[in-house]
Amino acid sequence: MSWQAVARKEFRDAIRSRWLHGSTLFFALFLGGAAALFFGVLIGAEGRQVSNLFGFFANLGVFSFSFPSLLALVLGFIALSTSYGSITGERETGSIKLLLSLPNSRLDAVVGKLLGRSGVVVAALVVGFLVAFAVLVATGTRLELGSFVPQVALTALLGMAFVSIGLGISALASSNREATLATMGLYLVFAVLWGSVSEGIPKLLNYAAGQVGAGGVSELTRVKIGVFLKYLNPLKVYETLAAQLYYGPVQARLVSATFGEQAALGPVLEESIPFYFTGSFLFVVLLAWIVVPAVVGYWAFERADL
Amino acid sequence: MAAIELDGVTKRFEDVTAVSDLSLTVEDGEVFGFLGPNGAGKSTTINLLLDFVRPTAGTVTVLGHDAREESVAVRERTGVLPEGFDVYDRLTGRAHVEFAVESKEVDADPDAVLERVGLADAADRKAGGYSKGMRQRLALAMALVGDPDLLILDEPSSGLDPGGAKEMREIVLSEADRGTTVFFSSHILEQVEAVCDRVGILRAGELVAVDSIDGLRAASDTDAALEITVDSSVDDDVLATVRGLNGVGSVERDGADALRVGCDSDAKTTVVTTLEDEGVAVADFTTREASLEDLFLSYTEDQGVGGEEAADETSGEAEPGDDDADEKPVEDAEVSR
Repeated sequence: MSWQAVARKEFRDAIRSRWLHGSTLFFALFLGGAAALFFGVLIGAEGRQVSNLFGFFANLGVFSFSFPSLLALVLGFIALSTSYGSITGERETGSIKLLLSLPNSRLDAVVGKLLGRSGVVVAALVVGFLVAFAVLVATGTRLELGSFVPQVALTALLGMAFVSIGLGISALASSNREATLATMGLYLVFAVLWGSVSEGIPKLLNYAAGQVGAGGVSELTRVKIGVFLKYLNPLKVYETLAAQLYYGPVQARLVSATFGEQAALGPVLEESIPFYFTGSFLFVVLLAWIVVPAVVGYWAFERADL
Repeated sequence: MAAIELDGVTKRFEDVTAVSDLSLTVEDGEVFGFLGPNGAGKSTTINLLLDFVRPTAGTVTVLGHDAREESVAVRERTGVLPEGFDVYDRLTGRAHVEFAVESKEVDADPDAVLERVGLADAADRKAGGYSKGMRQRLALAMALVGDPDLLILDEPSSGLDPGGAKEMREIVLSEADRGTTVFFSSHILEQVEAVCDRVGILRAGELVAVDSIDGLRAASDTDAALEITVDSSVDDDVLATVRGLNGVGSVERDGADALRVGCDSDAKTTVVTTLEDEGVAVADFTTREASLEDLFLSYTEDQGVGGEEAADETSGEAEPGDDDADEKPVEDAEVSR
């Protein structure tokens, strides 16, 4: 197994790209700047605690906003752009012939690329968090490390998930152009369309059940299916798990839920959380987003003629 | 043990057959030249050896390993200079060689290898700024890491200036002396002639000849090249008649008033007499020993002789005296009438 060699090569290559330098600078300005703005300017001394920024959630029932979801959107974009060209690009220039002339298996190539590219994304992210941390210390903000540190780790995992998604696209696509379009399309799905589709599917099921005479699907089941589908989105999983770090599981499930979902799910969650809404289950979903796209990509890449 | 064994290998890409029923054995320690015009299937064959593409039919064995199932084992002992590759623009020359060292899991000094291919001075520069020739040397350096048992070089001298091509040749020869099997493709025939023990000629995906260069000369009925100066232009019918003569391999126009005929030396007189019988005034003619290029053309041109057929017909006719003459590169003999 020489995936370490590939990973090191990928890391050394990607860390020198201007795109990554820009991303690092962006994370530093974004995370550090937000911390400085919140804790240096907006919030008085008594309210200076990490959860007021990194655990900032606002839910108006029809529209919700949170700092973690904003961070996730930006990170998803940067991680995808770091990896979507990692195989198509090498195919187009021909450097893949150097890579695979050496005793690297195609599995080594995929694993090495996943870890190497994840490494650079995480490095950029960590720089950003370090800058933010310095600001937190400087402004005398209460650190809540028990929540903040796991959140950094969670953010790193989300970065890996999007690196894996981009890598999978890159392995499946037959050209850079195709990979670019697929990546843009998929980003749109994750960032914008997923929620509406998740809400639409149970309605469709209900309609279909009514048509075949099986009676309707109960309101609660419909909501459960909808919310479950929403949680399959890595962005949503991240947001929910981050909320759980600060506010516990019950609150976290409702943190960006619509009024309808809150009304239906609230009592159920107060009683006990079904296993498919537990933190562990959501964590497994996040891990699956790291593993599955890379595995699918490997499956396609293994079969392809170069 | 055979270093490379192809057995009935066919590779089809959608509707194109790149390689058709190819069987070929390259022995351990041999320097084997793989010749053919562009698009003949040379690179596809090399890609099959490296598992870059997979055969539609047939088996490929390299260094005793199945090229498909045990590709990593093959590549652990093989150094490759691929065709149409590119370097990693942002990595230095040394980083490239370090990548090769780490991938091969060997203990080798990157600087020593770079020194050997003449890139020591550029080791710390980003490879994106390298010239074509330097990229070629860099890939060779990566190939040489870990002293491979087999070197596969696809068009190794492309992009190199004459000096660079000569160095490349010397490196290939010194590797061969060390016992390394060398398999390389080229369309630059002089290179092949200078280093190869045997050559294989590929045409339209099929192997048309495999032999030593001397053997090819003896086997082909094109062992002489006839350059004929004529007074007037020659029409196509006459060319066809000459082409149809026994012992004639190829006939080409060389400008308006000259012909080039590749033929068996015994057929020279017949060619000239036939031309005169057809009413063509022959002003002058020159013969020389067929160059490798003439041989190559006679094997790869459509109207040329079929390789195997020619071998059957004429291999018995080759006289011992001819072999001696073959060793001198090009011998011009002026014949005036």
